[in-house]
Amino acid sequence: MKRRKFDAAALPAKTAGAVDDRFQVATPLRKLLNKVFPDHWSFLLGEIALFSFVVLLMTGVFLTFFYEPAMTEVVYNGSYAPLRGTPMSAAYASSLDLSFDVRGGLIMRQMHHWAALLFMAAIVVHMMRVFFTGAFRKPRETNWIIGSLLFWVGFLAGFTGYSLPDDGLSGTGLRIASGIMLSIPVIGSWLTSSIFGGEFPGEIIISRFFIAHVLLIPGLLVALISAHLGLVFKQKHTQWPGPGRTNENVVGERMFPRYALKQGGFFMVVFGVIALMGGLFQINPIWYFGPYEAWVVSAASQPDWYVMFLDGSTRLMPAWQINIPIGDGYVIPPLFWPTVVLPGILVGLSTMYPFLEARQLKDYKHHNLLQRPRDVPARTAVGAMAVAFYIVLTLSGGNDVIADKFHISLNAMTWAGRIGLLVVPPLAYYVAYRLCLGLQQHDREVLAHGVETGIIKRLPDGRFVEVHQPLAAADHDGHGELDYVGWVVPKKMNRLGALGPAIRGFFYPIERPAEAPVSPGHPPVEPRPEREEITSGERR
Amino acid sequence: MSIHTEHQTPQGREPLDVNDPRASRFDIVQEGARRDDIEIVHYEEQVVPGSKAERRLTRTVALMFLLTGLAATAFLVIYIWWPWKWEAGRGGDKLYTPLLGLTLGVALLGIGFGILTWGKKLLPKEVSIQDRHDQPGPAEDRKITGETMLYLADELGVKRRPLLGVSLVAGLLPVGAVAAAPLVGGLISNPHKNNQMFTTGFAPAEGGKKIRLVREDGRPIRPADVSAGGQLTVFPGIEHGVSNKHADSPTLLIHLREDDAQKSREANSRAGHGDYMWGNYAAFSKICTHAGCPASLYEQQTNRLLCPCHQSQFLITDNARPIFGPASRRLPQLPIEVDEEGFFVAKSDYTETIGPDFWERP
Amino acid sequence: MTSDNDRRGGLLARLRGRPAARSRGRRRLGAAVRLIAALTLAGGAYTVFAPGVQAQENPPLTGAAAEGKALFDVSCVTCHGRNAQGVEGRGPSLVGVGSASVEFQVGSGRMPMARQEAQAMRKPPVFTDEQVRQLGQYIQELGGGPQVPAGNDLHRNADMAAGGELFRINCSQCHAFGGGGGALSSGKYAPSLKPASDRQIYAAMLSGPQNMPVFGDNQITPEQKADIIAYIQETLKHDQDQGGFNLGRYGPSTEGLAIFLIGIVALVFASLWIAGKS
Repeated sequence: MKRRKFDAAALPAKTAGAVDDRFQVATPLRKLLNKVFPDHWSFLLGEIALFSFVVLLMTGVFLTFFYEPAMTEVVYNGSYAPLRGTPMSAAYASSLDLSFDVRGGLIMRQMHHWAALLFMAAIVVHMMRVFFTGAFRKPRETNWIIGSLLFWVGFLAGFTGYSLPDDGLSGTGLRIASGIMLSIPVIGSWLTSSIFGGEFPGEIIISRFFIAHVLLIPGLLVALISAHLGLVFKQKHTQWPGPGRTNENVVGERMFPRYALKQGGFFMVVFGVIALMGGLFQINPIWYFGPYEAWVVSAASQPDWYVMFLDGSTRLMPAWQINIPIGDGYVIPPLFWPTVVLPGILVGLSTMYPFLEARQLKDYKHHNLLQRPRDVPARTAVGAMAVAFYIVLTLSGGNDVIADKFHISLNAMTWAGRIGLLVVPPLAYYVAYRLCLGLQQHDREVLAHGVETGIIKRLPDGRFVEVHQPLAAADHDGHGELDYVGWVVPKKMNRLGALGPAIRGFFYPIERPAEAPVSPGHPPVEPRPEREEITSGERR
Repeated sequence: MSIHTEHQTPQGREPLDVNDPRASRFDIVQEGARRDDIEIVHYEEQVVPGSKAERRLTRTVALMFLLTGLAATAFLVIYIWWPWKWEAGRGGDKLYTPLLGLTLGVALLGIGFGILTWGKKLLPKEVSIQDRHDQPGPAEDRKITGETMLYLADELGVKRRPLLGVSLVAGLLPVGAVAAAPLVGGLISNPHKNNQMFTTGFAPAEGGKKIRLVREDGRPIRPADVSAGGQLTVFPGIEHGVSNKHADSPTLLIHLREDDAQKSREANSRAGHGDYMWGNYAAFSKICTHAGCPASLYEQQTNRLLCPCHQSQFLITDNARPIFGPASRRLPQLPIEVDEEGFFVAKSDYTETIGPDFWERP
Repeated sequence: MTSDNDRRGGLLARLRGRPAARSRGRRRLGAAVRLIAALTLAGGAYTVFAPGVQAQENPPLTGAAAEGKALFDVSCVTCHGRNAQGVEGRGPSLVGVGSASVEFQVGSGRMPMARQEAQAMRKPPVFTDEQVRQLGQYIQELGGGPQVPAGNDLHRNADMAAGGELFRINCSQCHAFGGGGGALSSGKYAPSLKPASDRQIYAAMLSGPQNMPVFGDNQITPEQKADIIAYIQETLKHDQDQGGFNLGRYGPSTEGLAIFLIGIVALVFASLWIAGKS
């Protein structure tokens, strides 16, 4: 047999051919590489959550190598002197070892925790983007529901993880969680006893939380995230209205060559920010908290930020206890309403919102173009109301810290929260609504009369008027005939190119190389002929 | 590569023979895009090859990658050689973790921004338009799929043979229950076993022996051990009394000042707890009746007890009545007395339920 | 009210002037002061054992106590009354509170109070250490009470781990795990332990200032107090933040703030740049 010379250059092609022979991937891969993604900064917010999740998986796997999920009592004998000789659970001891006796363990722990906070924060910010731009409308209701579920599953992941070190602070959180479960009518005590394996705290809860935190919940998260991304791929991303953009197309960049590079780079940036925070900012210093002991507590005991709104609602709840005088008597404690009923309502409202809105507006069409928040004042106002509600609750969750550091009475903070919860959301609704209307009005004004030039002209009769640059050829009474198409209206002269090309560069101006062609991104002062062709796609 | 701007619709563009030897790589890419209903309407070099701008950008990107290498090397050096162990007296090295974070962060940001600059500045700008094709499938296909599924039901003939359907359900339901049974059966645990929700470690031992109040180190307590205006966390003097095994037992022993004690006694006798205090000493459960945190922020002048978790406030001199916040129930009081050896003992167990409320509590 | 404040302010200004003028003489008489300190200790012991001494109109005072009385009569008498018997609605009686209480309240600048509020705040102290000692001696001789042992380092060779355990049982509920303090009901608060000296922490435990419960020597022994002080001074204050900047040690509140103000803001800027027109 003749020995062939090894041809390195032909190797990739050969391998690719061999792979396609077996898996027939060439066509689907071509489709994937060619897929067009619209480009806007707000479309990258969800990616932050996705990339933090990847960091969470990586750092989390590292932590499991050293963490021992057991409540067996041991006497700590590690490096950290102020706790040496203290009896504690094996879980807490191993968390301390992770921080003090595993080389680089502390930064991994801190990165894991910061990534968790970032994951939840990015989910919330992304959710707000989707809400305020109407990206949840048909056909994307399912993905909105999956996204909302991701928040709640992430919430569970966060809470179970927060409890694992079994330190004084997280143990207090666990104690409250058991109180919340106890408060559920009829089944409360059975549920709590079953989850904790007896009376609180029992000896099993950390092991159970561990398996939930490292297997069940991440599994669910991976499944939901895959479904979420799969649907984005299948349904294609929404886009803002604009020149050439319709409800039937996607205008943007293909996955290859540029979009994929940007995504890869952004992943590294998210990873880098988490690493910086994990190293530079201390988070959850468990060695101060000591082991969990039922009689130990600290001032300013708070959960992580995404649970704080529930803590806030609990703090604001008046002491309304419902006694049911049947038999020996039964009771529904006040803890039940803000911690079980309220989240239930929030889950229901948030997942059902797309359907509620569609029903309200009788709008059952497909929508692939986003809406500017100002163009849908009612939705924007409802969103502002929800955000205000959430912020009041979250602030109330830290009201003792605010009271202490700003020298306000704690009782006054509670009352401010109670009143604020009723007053601020409607106020936010009203203000947001008026802001939207005002912005809309201004857009229409500019379209009708043109851009303010800053040039003041004195008329023969002595009046002063400002010269406006119309955006389109004016009709006989000086008014343009442009319709609003749901996208940014230029409101400054240099947006029209009047003052020369806009300055390029993000932090400092970049001089345009002379030989490069002029980008068409800046429309000239004269209305462009194709402007008439622009449609939002909504008005077809 | 030159500037390509095309304005034909995808349908308007002629298919290209990809095996045509004259076709450039970009032509083939464009043909691929055409097949995916993509029109590349704008594709333009951002920098002219060989220009000053290109050289500058290349240097910038290279610098970022080199910075990454440098930072990553620094990370390794610090990781290996920097003193990091916590040592008694000196403490740990406070710079170890921050330095690791700094070098790792810079390394990752270096790659990130390097790649981003490469992609953003050196690759051609493009605007492509792809058709969505998100119209529902053809009506005929919908009909065919629907009919195919119904066809299965027809062939099974459940309508004609109802016994099959009924027996299938009758058989499957128990199987479903079997799937759930081990989970539910294994996890379920009776909350009222040994009456555990209504008893604490202070329940008198067998033979009616009263349980001593002890400190965290197990020493019993004499009245003289707590000064007026002082408080002490006490535990049942039993095995594992000072542990999470008796998480509902920690109790706050408070030595009230004379006039506060007087008020407290009056409140107690109004509540029928006339003999719960011993002298000026009163003992209240430390476990908040709201969510179970240790409510232990005792203000010795106002005689309020604050819970740090949800800010419930209890007035000790009025039998620990909740006066602010979400708690709706008094802190249970432990009846105490002093035994013949001069140590505090619990006269009996708590007469009310400890800890957070639950449905069948009364 | 304002005139009252003004008058007090004037007195304080005069008082501030005095020690500077006397300091040289006092330095020269260092040995004499030590003698006086010894005498005051003896005097303190005497007052503890002499029953009903506070009832006497003019109890015999040692030198330091006499100095203290002079200070008291100019600065404290307005609220605490003649012979520290207290004034209804203005200030409590100081008979029997001991020098520990004076050392804490005056030494940390809480007394004299600027105005009546929910709680006295720590301020730059008005009196020098020596004057605080004199005042303390006076109060001690008036009615006895708890005293802080001598020396500035009260936690030598103490057991930090035992102190940590005691700190978490007795202190952290109000002063927080990190010692940063916390809110109490209706505008009151537990102060941060950061600026507190060994002697002040000891004095606070002994005397139970304001709403802090009393932790007498019968309840927490002097050795245990030393352990607690060791834990506070060596562990909490000696900046054992292994993980970088501690964000004020306010717990999850500031951590949540940081993730938005730093993490999200940085990444939003990054995405603005990535998606921006180049």
